[in-house]
Amino acid sequence: MKRNLLTFVIGGVLAVVFILLLFTFQVRQTEVAVVTRFGKPVRNLTEPGFKGKWPWPIEKHVKFDQRIQTFEDKFTEDQTADSVQLLTMVYVGWRISDAQAFFPKFAGGSVSAAERMLESILRSAKTATVGKHSLGDFVNADPKQLKFDAIESEIKAQVQAQLAANNCGIVVEFLGIKKLGLPESVTQAVFERMTSERAVLVSKSQFEGEAEAQKIRSAAERDAARITSEAESQAIRIRGEGEAKAAELLPVFELNPALANFDLRLKALEQSLKEKSTLIFDQRTPPFDLFQGFPTNRPSK
Amino acid sequence: MSHDHSHDHHDHGHRPERPVAANPGMDSGSQALTEALRGSFVIVKFVMLVLLAVFIFSGFFSVGPQEKAIVLRFGKPVGDGDKMLLSAGLHWAWPYPIDEVERVPITEIQRVRSTVGWYATTDAMEAAGNEPPAGPSLNPAIDGYVLTADGNIVHSRATLRYRIADPIQYVFGFMGGSNAVQNALNNALLHAAARFTADEILTRDIAGYNDAITRRFEQLAVAQKLGVVVEQCAVESKAPRQLKMIFDAVITAGQNRSKVLNEARSYENQTLTRAESGATNIVNLAETERKARLDALGADVERFRALRPNFERNPELYRQQELVKVMGRTLTNVNDRIYLPDRADGKSRELRLQLNREPLKPKSEAAQ
Repeated sequence: MKRNLLTFVIGGVLAVVFILLLFTFQVRQTEVAVVTRFGKPVRNLTEPGFKGKWPWPIEKHVKFDQRIQTFEDKFTEDQTADSVQLLTMVYVGWRISDAQAFFPKFAGGSVSAAERMLESILRSAKTATVGKHSLGDFVNADPKQLKFDAIESEIKAQVQAQLAANNCGIVVEFLGIKKLGLPESVTQAVFERMTSERAVLVSKSQFEGEAEAQKIRSAAERDAARITSEAESQAIRIRGEGEAKAAELLPVFELNPALANFDLRLKALEQSLKEKSTLIFDQRTPPFDLFQGFPTNRPSK
Repeated sequence: MSHDHSHDHHDHGHRPERPVAANPGMDSGSQALTEALRGSFVIVKFVMLVLLAVFIFSGFFSVGPQEKAIVLRFGKPVGDGDKMLLSAGLHWAWPYPIDEVERVPITEIQRVRSTVGWYATTDAMEAAGNEPPAGPSLNPAIDGYVLTADGNIVHSRATLRYRIADPIQYVFGFMGGSNAVQNALNNALLHAAARFTADEILTRDIAGYNDAITRRFEQLAVAQKLGVVVEQCAVESKAPRQLKMIFDAVITAGQNRSKVLNEARSYENQTLTRAESGATNIVNLAETERKARLDALGADVERFRALRPNFERNPELYRQQELVKVMGRTLTNVNDRIYLPDRADGKSRELRLQLNREPLKPKSEAAQ
């Protein structure tokens, strides 16, 4: 009896487990699922948890990761509005939002098939968008003229519209340009332009340097001249003040001009005969006037 | 244990019937089978116990200090909001079919690198210094670069170090979280380069360019709900290797320019210093002259005042005396003294003097 009960319990548990396995399945937080009945999708499951279904072969469930996955397309070349061949590569953050729509669309819910479709949609969206913009919308020093974000949202809007029209069960969460480039031959032309720009910079900095140096030098010379002339005028003023003071003293000499003159002449005489001078004098020059009255060497004549 | 007992009971119940069986060989055969079954039941029971233990213990898991864990029960996270994050330590969850443990690195700093704007190279080649040589042009399939605001080509790459601030979003929102982060960084790099000129990126505004990348990335991280926080964003930029020579020439020209300017400034300095010292000399000289003039005049005035009484007493005598005194003093200094008395006949004499222009250089004269 004891044995029968135990067997029964074990058998019951096993049966419950088996039934659960047959009739239920789990959907994770990160997943969405679709239940198909005889291969036809009938129920869409977007919430995580324990779900019920009819056992195989009546119903089957297919689960998809519903998290955002990133897809990058190829680096493709399109012509801009101003006839520049521009290569662009974009990345798309997309996710499966509706398993019921997604599943039948892509041969049993193949993600790579979805990516192929995404790529072809992107291809045409990119061509259309790039063709509407000039290169200056992609790269521009003026943030107001740069339309980088606008271009990204234009492509995104086109992709979204296309996906919605096809009813693919895919949602594009974000889209951004990953890479911009120019055809290989154009890069060479850009290099040439950059080289000539650099050459201009080289000569510019050379000439500007010299011009500025010249400016500094001439300014220095001008300032030096100004300083010197100011000093000279100050010197003249100082001398003038000296003269003025001297003039105040001069009236003293008027008390006896004869003495003043005599004294001046005497001093001048002494100054002028100070060195290396030859003096020729006759008997009238004092103190040689003492020779007057002496007999000469030719008195008879 | 109970199983064992019930088995015994079973054997017991059949034993009285055994003698009834005609074939003793058959009896011993079934007995052997029973023995064998009993032995294998013991093994099965042991294995079941071990499995049970393994089943229970496999539910334990430890969370490291650098990570958090989330338990998913039947696919749904256990707990709400931040409570679903299990911190470091030992935890228990039901084994697989019921619970699942998802680990998230959190305090650990993650690192991604954007190389869409860099030429084809690897870290090893870079470290060894044998990068592939640059061709005359850039092949878009191989060599990455960014287009600058002035339509130029510049290599630029960014390394982003980030932390996962919202692990739930990072894990449940994205299939490859780091991939999404890297693409956001690529886009930020491209977007910033599109707004800066080549010169700004390479030399004039490196910090501004770096900031622009970080800001753009942060905007994208918020907009795309990446759940990450930037720790540091390092950007490296380089002129195309094809143009290295001309870019170096620009740098050299810049250096020459500052050299020329420095020379001019030092000339300026010298000139002004010289002018100032010259000016000081001029003023000092004038000052000295003024002083000397006034001093001399003052002395003259003093002397005049002193002499006046003598002179006024007898002007003629004074004159004669002073003159003779001066002549006496002066004549001692005069080199040649020629006395030339009047001719007796009263006629004037003619005197010829040879004037030497350079009396001070007798040696050079001799050389001639």
